[in-house]
Amino acid sequence: MKLSSLIRLTALILLVAFIVMPHAFAFVFEPLTVNRAPAIYNQGSLLTLTLQHLRTVVLATLASTVIAVALGIFVTRPSGTEFLPLSRSLVNIGQTFPPIAVLAIAVPLVGFGEKPTFIALFLYGLLPIFENTLTGLTQVSPQTLEAARGMGMNDRQRLFQVELPLAFPLILAGIRLSVIISLGTATIGSTVAAKGLGEVIIAGLQSNNIAFVLQGGLVVALLAVLIHDGLGLIERLAARKLGRSLDEVS
Amino acid sequence: MLGVVPPRPMLSLDRLGTVIAILIGVALFAAPFATYRATRIASGQSRLLIEALPFTMSAVVAIVALAVAAGAAIVRDPLGRLGSAVIGLAVLLPSLGLSAGYLTPADNTFARVSPSTGFWLLTAAFSILAIDALARMRLGPYGRLAALAVGISAVALLLFSGIWNELSILKEYHTRADTFWREARQHLVLAFGSMAVACLLGIPIGIAGHRFRTLRIAMLQGLGIVQTIPSIALFGLLMAPLGALAASVPLAAALGIKGIGAAPAFIALVLYALLPIVANTIAGLSQVPASVVDAARGMGLSERQRLLEVEMPLALPVILAGIRIVSVQNLGLATVAALIGGGGLGTFVFQGIGQTAIDLVLLGALPTVGLSFVASIVLDALVDIAKGALA
Amino acid sequence: MIEIEHLTKRYGTNTVVEDVSFEVEEGTLTVVVGTSGAGKSTLLRMINRLVEPTSGRVLIDGEDTRRIPEDTLRHRIGYVIQGYGLFPHRNVADNIATVPRLLGWDRKRIAQRVEELLDLFQLDPAEFARKFPHELSGGQQQRVGVARALAARPALLLMDEPFGALDAVIRAKAQDDLLAIQRRLGTTIMLVTHDMNEAFHLGDRIAVMDQARLLQYASPAELLMHPADDFVERLVGTAERPFRLLSLAKVQEAVEPGAAEGEPIAVSDSLHDALSRLMWTGHRALPVADAKGAIIGRVSVDGILEHGRSLP
Repeated sequence: MKLSSLIRLTALILLVAFIVMPHAFAFVFEPLTVNRAPAIYNQGSLLTLTLQHLRTVVLATLASTVIAVALGIFVTRPSGTEFLPLSRSLVNIGQTFPPIAVLAIAVPLVGFGEKPTFIALFLYGLLPIFENTLTGLTQVSPQTLEAARGMGMNDRQRLFQVELPLAFPLILAGIRLSVIISLGTATIGSTVAAKGLGEVIIAGLQSNNIAFVLQGGLVVALLAVLIHDGLGLIERLAARKLGRSLDEVS
Repeated sequence: MLGVVPPRPMLSLDRLGTVIAILIGVALFAAPFATYRATRIASGQSRLLIEALPFTMSAVVAIVALAVAAGAAIVRDPLGRLGSAVIGLAVLLPSLGLSAGYLTPADNTFARVSPSTGFWLLTAAFSILAIDALARMRLGPYGRLAALAVGISAVALLLFSGIWNELSILKEYHTRADTFWREARQHLVLAFGSMAVACLLGIPIGIAGHRFRTLRIAMLQGLGIVQTIPSIALFGLLMAPLGALAASVPLAAALGIKGIGAAPAFIALVLYALLPIVANTIAGLSQVPASVVDAARGMGLSERQRLLEVEMPLALPVILAGIRIVSVQNLGLATVAALIGGGGLGTFVFQGIGQTAIDLVLLGALPTVGLSFVASIVLDALVDIAKGALA
Repeated sequence: MIEIEHLTKRYGTNTVVEDVSFEVEEGTLTVVVGTSGAGKSTLLRMINRLVEPTSGRVLIDGEDTRRIPEDTLRHRIGYVIQGYGLFPHRNVADNIATVPRLLGWDRKRIAQRVEELLDLFQLDPAEFARKFPHELSGGQQQRVGVARALAARPALLLMDEPFGALDAVIRAKAQDDLLAIQRRLGTTIMLVTHDMNEAFHLGDRIAVMDQARLLQYASPAELLMHPADDFVERLVGTAERPFRLLSLAKVQEAVEPGAAEGEPIAVSDSLHDALSRLMWTGHRALPVADAKGAIIGRVSVDGILEHGRSLP
């Protein structure tokens, strides 16, 4: 087994072990506490929080993926080209909005809880996926498309058999970026009372308990790094299946 | 040979324009123009355009908006569309200030007036029209900078003329003008100070990484991992080592948070900024054609001279592109710093969330968005100018 | 048979193809040649309706192509472009199987057809079927491109600069292979090129186009002997005309009775080849063998030159 895979596996086992039975690790965090404060987060189950955190991210990413890919397809069809320059500009402008601003503006509109977090995750998640879908679809070589048309593929066949498969690795990369941003934004979502791992950090900040802050930070960080890594692995597999060299995709 | 697209007639129904026209229609007739609150945290009452302004003024706004809608649907010439969008904004934006004055009862200092859905939709519709026209005009870097300067001057004029002073967001500003400028300065220090440090560290690391493969792989992988860690988690992770340092937190009132100030935030921002700068320095240097480096060596330039006189100037556009990414990224991330007591414009965002005061949220968020917007346009233009200088 | 009747294509005021008419016989190879921008690609693309004609029509075996749904028409017509447009995400076998799959052939029939074509194009199925386009050389990509176009046994094959991306050595080989395959399958081919040598080498008939118009449609010999106008004459190239004529004539035409020393020349070779062999080997004459290898006479330098002078 390669060293990098070993590190990955160890990190994964540690993360799962900590989430499932955090009290076994209390000795690590005890030195950080003062005034006999609890060393391990005690206002909820870490496992539940992790699952809720992931659920918000997965649902929001699924929604963004469906909408962003559909929009990407629309603006690259002849009937949607009029919207192409504008959609590019809007994506560029959209990315200058900090995710927290989107989150904060959503609160007065829909109230506290999961809803503003979901909206922020969904809206902000659209951008990288849309951008990559656009790049992927517009990068397909005109020769390939000409050949497909010449062989009698209709618009739908061209889209599903040629354009989307060729854009697939880039779309996946967009989804990966979106997931990572969402994991972070969902953490901040705890400031608007969304259930998630941010709670642990916020609780630590509020009670001045560095142990909470550290364990919350570690869980979120490991989760993000491992998910990023795992999605990267899927991307490389997809790219290999499409018969491209790895450098072309990365 | 691919088909030549025949020129389209200048007068026919434009699809994007039609969407914008519909948006304007909805904004005018189906959405409230402003929200009135008896106090800053009371629940709001919607006011349609006709209620929000004196009759003649609301008629003027409606007629101008409809004219812009018609123009968007019919006129295809980008200059014409840009012109109509600008006229629309020039009528709409001051009218919001008039509306605030009109809706606020005389001598009432508690009542608040904020823009509502209809106003935002109209602004969005006019801006989209302008953005689309500008995108189609394919302005060069200097043209874009000039357009930006005009935009900034217009916003400054609106702010300093006092026409918007009755608006809730500016009342929020006036009650805390001192804090606002202090936090704004802090925000800039966090975002651009960390960027400067990242440049001082990252460019030499990038140059070294370009030479040494092992260093390159290690740096890019390590910084890549840092980049995936969510901001608040990284702030938290840095707090433990820096735990000894304590500072008072302006947020304490809102969230009861105690933390340790700007130091972990600043360090985290430097770490986040390193990846784009190192990666782009390496990318920029490695795309310098080997023949050029060879020719320089052939002319007897020393390694140092080659780097400073040949390689770095050629890599400059790519490095600048990295700095553009960092500036937008840091301006956004710096808002999170407020959560751990690091200050910055995020302070108002989180205070606003705590008090459910949307205007306070906007007081923090809008300047952040504006700064990112300006930074991205300026740096994009610089990248293009640097590229142009090489071409 | 393909009948092209008064085909015209205009984009706005710009006429790209103007009133072009000619007929292509079944089983022949017709080359459309001309300078770039002459309208030859557009002409080709109007045959499979990638470009809709402004006016005029195309009949394939008497059937107006406008009556056939676009996609159905293209399934029946093979199409090869410069650079081939192979699908980068599909391996060689799947690339070749594209049109049969669109037509809903069953799996076994597709597999069989793919193997057959790989054999025909001298690509070992065991080695190449699973390779991806980026793993192939230029020549191999070209062969896969043609194999893919022939997969559903089209009666007509359209080729737009199919050899344009190949270097000179591989190009000559690819041209010979195409001729051999065309003779074997009897496919009607229309090929567009800007290369006069290629046109003379491949074409049973040549259509010369310039500035959207068809200047002349004739056999290669006819084109050499009676160019329709100055432009065709210049394009054909006056200086090399005798050599071109010699490469069109067969040894058959200059066989004289008598014996000669040396390696025999095949009666089906061109006079151009025979003359080069004579000059290269230093013989005044060489024996001529028929298809079975029997000596039927000889061919001499003088005889060839004599024959050359009799050509106009």
